[in-house]
Amino acid sequence: MHFAMPPRKTSRPPPYAARNQSSVRIPPALKNLLRRDKLRLVVVGALGFFTLLWLFGWIGGGSSSNSVLPGGVASTISLIGTGPAVVIVTVIDPQANPAWTERIKKNREEYAKKHGYLTFFANASDYPLRNSPPSWAKVPAVRHAMTRNPGSTFFWYLDSTALIMNPSIDIHAHVLAPSRLEKLMIINQPVVPPDSVIKTFSNLKPDRIDVIVTQDKDGLSQSSWIVRNGDWARYFLDAWFDPIYRSYNFQKAEQHALEHIVQWHGTILAKLAMVSQDTINGYHASDLANANHGTYKDGDLVANFYGCDREKRSCADEQQPFFAILEEAKNKD
Amino acid sequence: MASRSPSPRPGGWSSPGLNSPYDASGRASPMRGYANGASQNVTWASAQARSAEVKGYTAFSPRNQGFFGRHFRKISTQLPFSYAEKEKLGRGRYQGNKVMQTFKRIGRNFWRLRRSLGLVLLLILSVILFYVTPLHRVYRRSSLGGGGKKYVIILAANQGGGVMEWKGPREWAIERYSVKNKKNYANKWGYDLEIVDMSTKKRYAHEWRESWEKVDTIKNAMRKYPHAEWFWWLDTNTFIMEPSYSLQNHLFKRLQDVSYRDIREYNPLNISHPLTDEYLDAEILSPVGDGKTNSINMLVPQDCGGFNLGSFFVRRSVWTDRLLDIWWDPVAYEQKHMEWEHKEQDALEYMYQNQPWIRSHVAFVQQRKVNAFPPGACGDKGDDPNIHYHEKERDFMVNMAGCEWGRDCWAEMYKYRQLSERLNRNPWERFKDLISDSIKHRKESKKKEEKGKKDKHS
Repeated sequence: MHFAMPPRKTSRPPPYAARNQSSVRIPPALKNLLRRDKLRLVVVGALGFFTLLWLFGWIGGGSSSNSVLPGGVASTISLIGTGPAVVIVTVIDPQANPAWTERIKKNREEYAKKHGYLTFFANASDYPLRNSPPSWAKVPAVRHAMTRNPGSTFFWYLDSTALIMNPSIDIHAHVLAPSRLEKLMIINQPVVPPDSVIKTFSNLKPDRIDVIVTQDKDGLSQSSWIVRNGDWARYFLDAWFDPIYRSYNFQKAEQHALEHIVQWHGTILAKLAMVSQDTINGYHASDLANANHGTYKDGDLVANFYGCDREKRSCADEQQPFFAILEEAKNKD
Repeated sequence: MASRSPSPRPGGWSSPGLNSPYDASGRASPMRGYANGASQNVTWASAQARSAEVKGYTAFSPRNQGFFGRHFRKISTQLPFSYAEKEKLGRGRYQGNKVMQTFKRIGRNFWRLRRSLGLVLLLILSVILFYVTPLHRVYRRSSLGGGGKKYVIILAANQGGGVMEWKGPREWAIERYSVKNKKNYANKWGYDLEIVDMSTKKRYAHEWRESWEKVDTIKNAMRKYPHAEWFWWLDTNTFIMEPSYSLQNHLFKRLQDVSYRDIREYNPLNISHPLTDEYLDAEILSPVGDGKTNSINMLVPQDCGGFNLGSFFVRRSVWTDRLLDIWWDPVAYEQKHMEWEHKEQDALEYMYQNQPWIRSHVAFVQQRKVNAFPPGACGDKGDDPNIHYHEKERDFMVNMAGCEWGRDCWAEMYKYRQLSERLNRNPWERFKDLISDSIKHRKESKKKEEKGKKDKHS
């Protein structure tokens, strides 16, 4: 069949394909701007605008300048580690027998010399204690030692009642090195025996420890402790020495003050490691020693004649046989 | 029909255009229809078109339906500058008067400069958009921009309320004003605002720490905003008079100039400074610590009676952690709580004097910078240049300290709010006020004149 004309167009034309209609109709002028070649211009313009704003900085911002006030004294914290590693601090009672104090000093000095450490001796009367017991003097004394030896890392306070009995033990390698301290630390131990609810933290990292103490039968012992130089030590010693604790008449002066701040202030407890008493503070022939690990045995670093400076006891007499042992050992070498 | 089935034909719906057409019943092979969808041949498109007719609107919408779409051509041909007009130029027809010609010339120049003009317009538009939308807040918050997220405002609400005292409508209104003021300020600069309920709670069994909760509150805020650096404590009875001052520009960018570390500069407590104890280190013995701004961890204003903790700043640092830890101590509390009626404030003054480690990290800020007093606090006249608010010098903040003892907190709050609004009017409001004021003034003077005349007549 042939047709002269193509088939007639339908009277119902198919609708146009629907335009893709977005909800927002972009006017053609803007659409033109969003074309690829123009888009670059827009982006660069916007970037330039923000750079300008940033450069001017007048909508707030910027860091503070760091000029130094005249009279400002730089902190000595940065010097830590440049000097001898350990300083042994002992407070001497000026009224004590001078011959004995000389022997005590010599005991520390010989040990320090052997390992390349320093000693610091202070008189209890050097510090403004304001009518509080002289046993408080150890706190400013350690602070004083830090001021004098800003380059040293550890400050070992050792009471004058204690003797270093085994000079061959290097306290740094023996106690302070992190790997060693990790083994020595007693974690999860009630701070005040037998059952204080505050216990030493169980997740302590040995390199973050700032103070090392021991515990005798009554509680934290203050005869021998080690503190690491730094901001924390300043905070710790200043807080401990706060007159408000000195005037409070704790039963045993600075000892209870220490137990108090350790138990009430987490920033102190978190930096505290407890080691067994015989590590640095073994008591000789005393019923106040820690029942498990408190008594001095031959070969321990320190023998402490705890309480020999009180009442009618005489440290010189009690320590005499031990001085003799030390002399003997020295002569052998 | 036996059953009212929804489908038009037995056999169910068929997909039009895909299978055989409807009329194919009885045929073995589908009938060949015409192209373009003749009547029997139902394609998808035609079905859609038909249903569109039924629905009453078309599936496609024609272009140019809007006003401009329809009339743009008409309008554009009427505009003085058009290409069509160009052709007619100089053909002896009427060119319009001179004014029209100048307009035309200006228009033509504008058209020629359309690119650069468009750029300028775009710039202006983006500036407006920047400030109208929350974009400026985002910018000011970001560390690249303003760094506003480094600042947190801690607003103590409901102080002393709770079990001790019920709040009346005035107290509620004061609190509402105060909170709104800080909210706006924090929003404007992209700071965080932490509103804390300080109502007295018996939270601690021994009741010791009752209302000593500043420390806990600051600690909580530090935990809640781990990226913030400075925390600004504010009491309820405070009002930010100049919201246009950012903390950065007002204080922290020029900390060295606005703060002083040597308390001897202004020392109402007569604290002996610097310390002289031989056993302390040089940094602590120095009156200004290490003298660097980055060692300042606490910024405190002093009023006539010593430290004022109605508005103060602490920076997140280990030093601050230690301070917050040692601030409240049971031994100190037991001995001093009767004496320390301002609680944390007295405790801080005490510690500043007695614990040397604190001294070298505290700086003081001139009181009117962050904590100006209204008359009535520290002197009834309100004329101490160190302490009292000065309208002319546009002090940043007012602290209506002690208004709850014998002064009217609400009246003061209202007064300072009005004053702040008046001081911070925008030019348009200023203009309106100027006109209304002048009209008022004229009316009043007229009245006076009339009165004067009447007085003369009578």
